[in-house]
Amino acid sequence: MDFYEITNEPLNVGEIARRVVPVECGAIVTLDGFVRKFTKGRETQYLVYEGYEPMALKEMEKLGERAKQLFEIANVGIVHRLGRLEIGETSVVISVASPHRRAAFEACEWLIKELKKTVPIWKKEVYADGEIWVTGNG
Amino acid sequence: MNVQVLFFGATADETGEREIEFSFDENISAERAFAEIVEKYPRLKAHKLLFAVNQEYADGGEIIKNGDELAIFTAVSGG
Repeated sequence: MDFYEITNEPLNVGEIARRVVPVECGAIVTLDGFVRKFTKGRETQYLVYEGYEPMALKEMEKLGERAKQLFEIANVGIVHRLGRLEIGETSVVISVASPHRRAAFEACEWLIKELKKTVPIWKKEVYADGEIWVTGNG
Repeated sequence: MNVQVLFFGATADETGEREIEFSFDENISAERAFAEIVEKYPRLKAHKLLFAVNQEYADGGEIIKNGDELAIFTAVSGG
């Protein structure tokens, strides 16, 4: 089963990863994206994520379907958290199951790159002396 | 006819709005509709903007209909 979700609750990476385990698969590759403390030398206090939820879910599903055409994979799960996240907390989990590991690694990398370009979610970095909405590279 | 216009992140900060109603003439294109909205909130011009109609990225050629959901936002930065 593929799954695409948005939540304000903390993410349990292990539980999400193990939700995609078809019997013909031999590997799951899971990305645990979390809040970084230092970006280009500047110290972040926390992040706030905001999303256009119905459109973000649609775009996540499109990416999953496209990944299944491009790579020899069986299942995809993507979960993104919104709201205030502290340093080290998981913001996104992408899990890909495949019969053989190579396709899952490649698909997982492709999915996070595309997610950062197309899924309508934005992050605000909050510093000791200000805050900024991060603009993606398009 | 009336549509709903949504703003997120930086565009919500610039406009001071998250959701507004906007009126247009019939058969307006998405390109003209978004141009009118940006004229009303000129601070949006400081940003490179993306547009969506009914939760799909818009290329500008769409014809806007009564009740449509429009959105204006900056390049995404999730992940």
